Amino acid sequence: MDRRTFVKASCIGSASLLMQGLNPMMRADSLPSLPPIELHGLPDYPASPLGMPGLFRGRVIEIREPKAIVGNRVTQSIVSRMLDQAMTELTGEKSVRDAWAKFIDPKDIIGIKINPSGAPACCSSPEIIREIIDAVRSVGVPPRNIVVYDRYSYEMDIGSYQALLPIGVRIVGIQDAFTIGMDGYEPNVYCDANFFGEWETRSYMARIVAHEVTKIINVPTMKDHSASGVTGALKNLAYGTFNNVARTHQPPHSFTNPLIGLMCTVEPLRSRSVLHIMDGMRLVWHGGPLTQIQDFIEQPGILMVATDPVAMDTVELEAIDKKRREHGAPSVWEHEPSSITSDGNLFYHDAAKNLFYRQPGHIAAAGKLGLGIFDPKQIDHRLISA
Amino acid sequence: MEMTQTATPESPRDWPTLLGDNARTCGQGPIKLHFPEKAAWQYRAGSAVRSAPVLREGSLYVASVSGVLHAIDVATGRSKWKFQSEGQVHATPSLFENIVLFGCDDGKVYALDRHSGEKRWEAASQAEVWSSPVIRDGVVYFGSADGKVYAVDAGSGHVKWSQGLGGRVYSTPYAAEHQLYVGCGDGKVYCLAADSGKILWETPTGNGIDSSPAVASGLVLIGSEDFSVYALNASTGEVRWKYETGLGIASSPAVLGDFAAIGSKDGFLYAFDAQTGQLRWKTEVGEVVTAPPAIADGALCIQAGGLFALDPANGKIVWRAHLGTAIQSVPVLTGDGIYIASLSGEIYALR
Repeated sequence: MDRRTFVKASCIGSASLLMQGLNPMMRADSLPSLPPIELHGLPDYPASPLGMPGLFRGRVIEIREPKAIVGNRVTQSIVSRMLDQAMTELTGEKSVRDAWAKFIDPKDIIGIKINPSGAPACCSSPEIIREIIDAVRSVGVPPRNIVVYDRYSYEMDIGSYQALLPIGVRIVGIQDAFTIGMDGYEPNVYCDANFFGEWETRSYMARIVAHEVTKIINVPTMKDHSASGVTGALKNLAYGTFNNVARTHQPPHSFTNPLIGLMCTVEPLRSRSVLHIMDGMRLVWHGGPLTQIQDFIEQPGILMVATDPVAMDTVELEAIDKKRREHGAPSVWEHEPSSITSDGNLFYHDAAKNLFYRQPGHIAAAGKLGLGIFDPKQIDHRLISA
Repeated sequence: MEMTQTATPESPRDWPTLLGDNARTCGQGPIKLHFPEKAAWQYRAGSAVRSAPVLREGSLYVASVSGVLHAIDVATGRSKWKFQSEGQVHATPSLFENIVLFGCDDGKVYALDRHSGEKRWEAASQAEVWSSPVIRDGVVYFGSADGKVYAVDAGSGHVKWSQGLGGRVYSTPYAAEHQLYVGCGDGKVYCLAADSGKILWETPTGNGIDSSPAVASGLVLIGSEDFSVYALNASTGEVRWKYETGLGIASSPAVLGDFAAIGSKDGFLYAFDAQTGQLRWKTEVGEVVTAPPAIADGALCIQAGGLFALDPANGKIVWRAHLGTAIQSVPVLTGDGIYIASLSGEIYALR
């Protein structure tokens, strides 16, 4: 059976969302209209109970320790303790190893999806990745079965992950940022939509996700995103797994809502993504995802863990919007035409300006697709101290 | 400002450090630089280039990520030959007599006849080789992501010794007469005996090391991901001075006499007195700097999103070339032009 899904405004999938009282496909800027979106997953792939929203739907553990990052440097021994504490709190297990074993089997091939976009100013901290690798190995997974990956090898190089991670672990950039081609992508697993009249209407899933790894640990960062509102667990998975995604936003409009959530439903991405560990050592409240301007980057020393990416991103969204309020910047929900600029330099230096109408509604849309809880009142958000 | 040339290869047969000598000249020596006015030719490598070219006797050797080593005629910009390896290539090639050597993600170092492109030998490690091979006294040294440094015979590729370190080795070693110096992903700088690989000393830094050392006047200069530049006593490993930049350092130092320069991921190029560590100047040249600078006579060049030439006396940018593509490589500076590679796979001759 071809697990083919067809989504458009008049189809049942979208209608069911409307019936639940929220139309995540509705966009405040209202233009242009949403085109049909076809989703082609891996045929006959069995859904896993570990897949999103996973074992702990609606639960988000947030742990803060300002001393974890001082002068832009992360202290590995502190993040090690934070991760242990968060994992036992998430799972209810007394032993750290048992906590990890709820998600990982020694026979698994573990993919660690990092976010090097924005390196070196804000990217997944190598110190946290090293701790995750240690934890995975403690369950019995050998280093050769651990793959740290992202779409762009060039961005991984800037983060120096290749030199900083343990011997034996594979470090894979799916493609180069400056060349194009299908190498590294599965031609039969894709999302197809024509958003702005582009010639290539398909976004293909990375082969490493479709065929190599058996579990994915997702390590997003906490960042504002000029097109999607924030980039968190959902966007790191979706736009870091499928290629040809920049075409979904053309100033000032963005189809990141609903595409981010839709991509996360495609198998096997959905079933294999079992754990999300958000690196909030740094928090970008404007200029994301690529800014290098330290004026918009704070260092709160946050670590969050969850199996539910929607709940996690809902917490992240509020944290970033709160930070924007503190700085007098408009909300990521604002869709004021006078805020839009086509001047990239102005955007990077003025928090009141943006290149797109941001689409933070992509998180609620993902919730409506069954990927998790987006109602803050229903989220079991546990804030613990290190 | 006068800069005295030091630490160049003692023998023309040697290639003891990344890009041939401490000034990172790609084997050209610190020549008088003529600032080009236009691109004389452009060569398309067919895939990204994330390493630096090297030049000898009218041939430019460039490795593309797709695993192809290209030999290009610098007079015409046309291909002389190509060699397809079995993995991706991120390592900068090296030259030794009539062979060109390069590391590959298939774990091998390939040695090719530099005139014909025919393979002479290959030497295998257990993981990708991103460090550039260095050659001294007929021995090729290279680091591997398997955590080992290898010494192989330059004529045959036979392994003489290998030494395991505590992390991945992406740093290119510096081969002194009796010692080998190299940084490691475990955050340490190591000094090994050149004849046996025995660890003579090790000095920790605060994070992993991607940078490649230069050795000059008894000091080992190197950057660390802990944000700092280190100068270590080459005999003991004792820290003589360190200087903290704004972010991690993947760039490698270029040294000429008492002048040392290195880039940082904070976007600045820093110049120091090599002996004391006193900052002479720092200049912002891009958002991120990961490539090493190269020193010419009276100019310091860096590729960081564009190609810049700075006055080494004060750090002022005196020339720049905007080529429209992202660049983090090292230019080949010659008396009649500059050769550069870009991430998008173009090689340019600027004259």
